[in-house]
Amino acid sequence: MINFKLIAKILGTLLFLEAMFMAVCLIVSLCYQEGDMVPLAVTVGATLLAALVLWLLGRGATNALGRRDAYLLVTIVWIAFAAFGSIPFLMGGYIKGIADAFFETMSGLTTTGATVIDHVEGMPHGVLLWRSLTQWIGGLGIVFFTIAVLPSFVGGSIKVFAAEATGPVQSKLQPRLTMSAKALWGVYLVLTAACALLFFLFGMGGFDAVNYAMTITATGGFATHDASTGYFNNAAIDYTAIIFMFVSGISFAMLYAAFFKMRIKRLLKNAEFRFYSALIVLSTVVIVYFLLQYNHYSVGDAIRCALFQVVSFITTTGMFNEDAAQWHHITWVILSLCMFFGGCAGSTAGGFKCARGVIALKIMRNEILHRIHPKAILPVKVNDSTINSSGQITLIAFLLVFILLCFFAYFVMILAGVDSTNSFTIALSCASNVGPTLGLEIGPTMSWSVLPMMVKWILSALMLMGRLEIFTVLVIFTPAFWKNN
Amino acid sequence: MKVIIVGADAIGAHLAELFSKIKQNIIIIDEDESKLERIAAYCDLLTIKSSANTPIKSFRDAGVNTADLFISVMRDENLNLSLCVLARSMGAKQTVARVENAEFTDVHITNAFKRAGISSIIYPDDLAAQEIIAGLELSWVRQRWNVHGGALTMLGIKLREECEILNRPLKNVCQPGCPYHVVAIKRGNSTIIPTGNDMMLSQDYVYFMTTRDYVPEMRRVTGKEHYPDVKNVIIVGGGKTAVRVVNNLPRGMKAKIFETSTARCEELNAVIDTSRVMVINADGRSVANLLEENVRSTQALLALTGNSEANILTCMTAQELGVSKTVAMVENMDYMNIAGNSDIGTVINKQALTASYIYQMLLNGDVRNIRNLLMVNADIAEFNAHKGSRITSKRVYELNLPKSVELGGLVRGGVGILINGSTQIQPGDNVVVFCQDTNISQIEKYFI
Repeated sequence: MINFKLIAKILGTLLFLEAMFMAVCLIVSLCYQEGDMVPLAVTVGATLLAALVLWLLGRGATNALGRRDAYLLVTIVWIAFAAFGSIPFLMGGYIKGIADAFFETMSGLTTTGATVIDHVEGMPHGVLLWRSLTQWIGGLGIVFFTIAVLPSFVGGSIKVFAAEATGPVQSKLQPRLTMSAKALWGVYLVLTAACALLFFLFGMGGFDAVNYAMTITATGGFATHDASTGYFNNAAIDYTAIIFMFVSGISFAMLYAAFFKMRIKRLLKNAEFRFYSALIVLSTVVIVYFLLQYNHYSVGDAIRCALFQVVSFITTTGMFNEDAAQWHHITWVILSLCMFFGGCAGSTAGGFKCARGVIALKIMRNEILHRIHPKAILPVKVNDSTINSSGQITLIAFLLVFILLCFFAYFVMILAGVDSTNSFTIALSCASNVGPTLGLEIGPTMSWSVLPMMVKWILSALMLMGRLEIFTVLVIFTPAFWKNN
Repeated sequence: MKVIIVGADAIGAHLAELFSKIKQNIIIIDEDESKLERIAAYCDLLTIKSSANTPIKSFRDAGVNTADLFISVMRDENLNLSLCVLARSMGAKQTVARVENAEFTDVHITNAFKRAGISSIIYPDDLAAQEIIAGLELSWVRQRWNVHGGALTMLGIKLREECEILNRPLKNVCQPGCPYHVVAIKRGNSTIIPTGNDMMLSQDYVYFMTTRDYVPEMRRVTGKEHYPDVKNVIIVGGGKTAVRVVNNLPRGMKAKIFETSTARCEELNAVIDTSRVMVINADGRSVANLLEENVRSTQALLALTGNSEANILTCMTAQELGVSKTVAMVENMDYMNIAGNSDIGTVINKQALTASYIYQMLLNGDVRNIRNLLMVNADIAEFNAHKGSRITSKRVYELNLPKSVELGGLVRGGVGILINGSTQIQPGDNVVVFCQDTNISQIEKYFI
C-alpha cells in the first residue's frame, strides 16, 4: 500500500525548502521596495503553513519508501511546487488565470522556458527572480537537490533519484548517493557562478547576470527581457551563453570527472558527447548555409546566430538572440530535430537525450545488418558497455510513448484551432522542455498567452511528463499501480 | 640446474620433456599419479605426488630453496600465482606462473607481480594469438620467427610446384650473396640439415633464414605471389585465443567469429571491438553457414575450437572452399606431424608454444631467444658471441661444428647478415643457431 504518511512528511519538508527559496525573492523584493512584496510574503506564509500541516500529518510515519511511493512522491512534489510557486504571479496580478500561472510555473520548474507573459520587463524584481529560480531549482531536480542538502531524510533515496534523473544511464560518482548529489550540485553551482560572473564582466547588470546565469545553466530559457539575450546584442554575451548552454547540456557526472578529476580525454571519447557535438556542428553548418544564401547575413553574424539557436534548441534552453521565424523554413526542421534529441543524459537538458539517440541509431543499424547476416549477434555498445535487450526494449518503448504523447498534444491543439506547424513544434517543445515554438502564428520570440486554457493545462502535464521521462508519471495512471500486490 | 614444475598436464609434460632432453634436474609435482607415471615413462626426472592444497611438504621434499626455476602451470591461475609467491619466498631463484587472464599480461601488472616474487607471467592464449597474428600478416608463410625485431627472419614454407628453386642441388641454387639460407628441410617424417648436395623438392617443408629486405624476394622465389593478403578472417570457435587474436588484429583486417553458444556470443561482444569483428551465432563447421557468411571472399580461416579433430577438418573444408590461409589449433602433439605433410595449413599447439616459451627462460644469460620447433624436433636459438669464445676464433667452415647444428645468420649492429662457410663471427654478434636433437647447452659452450 502507498505510504501516504511518509509522502506527506517528505512533501512537507520539501515545501519548507521551497518557502526558503521564496523568502530569498521576498528579501530581494524588500530591497527594491516594489509591489510584489505582499504577494511574495503571503506565498511564503501559505507555503510554510502547508508545509507545517503536511509535516504534522506525516508525523510518526514508517520510514520505508517503496518503489511506488517514490514515483508518486516525485510527481506530487513537482505538482505541489508548481502550485505554490504560481501564487505570487496570481496574487500580484502579473498573470491572469490559474491555468496561465500554473503553466508559467511548471514551464519554469521543468526548465521548459515557454512563457505566457507578454511583457516581462514590466514585472518587479522579486517575481522575476522567483521565475528564474524555479528553473534553477528544477534544473537538476527538486528531490535530487534535497538529497544533497538533507541526506538522511529519505530512506529510499535511490528510488527517488531513479524516478527523477534524466536519461537512460545513471552513473554514480561516489559510493554514496548523497556524495554524488553534492558533487553534481557543486558542478552546477560553479557553472552558474562562472556564467553570472562572465555576464557581469561583459556588461550585464548584476540582477540580469544572475537571472540569465540561472536560466542558462538550468537550460531553462526564461529571460528578464522580452527580446531574451537579443536585448543586449552583444557578441561576447552571446558566445558566453552558447558556451554555458553547451556545457550544461553535457552530463554533469562527466563534467565532474573532466574538471575535478582531469579526465577530459574520457569526455572527448564519450560516444554520447561526440553525438551531441556532431549534431550541433552539423546543424550549425547547414543553418549557416541557409542564412548566408537566403537571409543575407554576414558570415560572423550567421555563425553566431546559427550556433546560438542550435545550441539553445539542442540543450532545450530556448533562449534566442534572433527571430528564427524570419529564417528559411528548412532551418525549422533542423531546429525541431535538435529539440527532439536534446542534450546528454544526466544534464539539465531535456528531450529524448543523446544517449538514447546513440542507442536507437545503433539498434537501427543492427537491424539493417541483420538482413545481411541473419545469424550474427550484434551488440549495442555505448562506451564499451553493452546495452542488453531489455534495456533496448525499454528505450524503444520510451521512444514510442514520447512520439505518441507528442501526437496526442498535436491532435488536441489542432482541435483547439492552433496553426498546424505551431501545434507540432509546441508539442515537441513541451515534451522536450525546450520553450520556443516555430510556426506561422506564434513565433519563437512570442509568448504563448494566446493559447486556449485547456491546451495550457494539457501542455503543463506534457512538460511534467517530459521532465520526469514520462514513465514516472504515466505509471501512476495505470490500474496496476494502485492494486495491492 | 634445478627445475621444479607443478602441474603435469600437457604444458607441464611437454616442458619436462624439453628440459630432460638437455639433461637438467627436473622435479615434477602433481596430484594425479597416472599423469606422473606417463611422464616418467619417457623422461628422466623425479616425480612427487602431492596435492596443490598442501604444498609446503612437497616443496620441502623437492628442495624448493635450491631451485633455479620454479614453474607452476596448473589449470587454476590463482593457485599458480600463489604457489609462485610461496616458492619465491622459500628460496626459488626464478618463478613462472601460467595465467588465463589477459589483464595480467599488462606491463604494469607484470612489474607488480615481479615485486611480489613472480618473475614471469605466461598466458598461453596470448602466445597462441601472437603466433597466429604473425601468420596472418605473412599469409603465404606457415611459420615465422623474428630475431632482433625482424632484422633476421626465419620462415617455414611449404614448397609447391610453382617454386623456382626446386630439384637443384643447393650449392647451385644458393651462390654466395644469395639472399636466403636453407636451414632445414622436412620431407615426410624425416628432417634434413642440408649440405650443398641436397635438393629441395615439391611438398617439402623448408625453413629459410633471410633478412628483412628480402622477404618479398622469398615470396617470389617460392612461387607464393598469388597468395592474397589477408583482409577478412573467419574464426571458428570463440574461445580465449579467438578474443586475443581479434583484439590484436592487424590494421585493415576484419573478422567474423562463429560461436555456437548464444551466451558466449554475448560475452564475446562485450570484450571485442565490434566495429571490426562480427559474432555469428552458428556452427562454423557447417559449409552452408560458412558460405552464407561469404567464406569465398575470406582469405584466412582460424579453427580455434576445443576439438582438435574438428579444427583440422574445418581447415581442410576451408581449403577446398578456396581459403588460402588456414590455422588449426590442436591439443594433440601427434597431429603436429600430420600438419606438415597435409593441406591443413598452419597448426598451432598452445601447450607446446607455452612450453617452448618457458623453455627459453632456463637458458637465460647468453641465449637471447629460443624457439622449439616441434614439427622438426629442433631448437632454434639466438646466442651472443662472447669475446674470446671458440665461435669467434675461426671461420665457420673451420669450426667443426656438429652435423646437426646449422648457423643460420647473425645480427651485427642491428643489421641482419646471413652466414656461409667463410663468415667470420665477431664478438658481440647475435648468432642464430638451428640444432636438431642436440643439447643446447653444448652449443652454448662455443659462445662463452
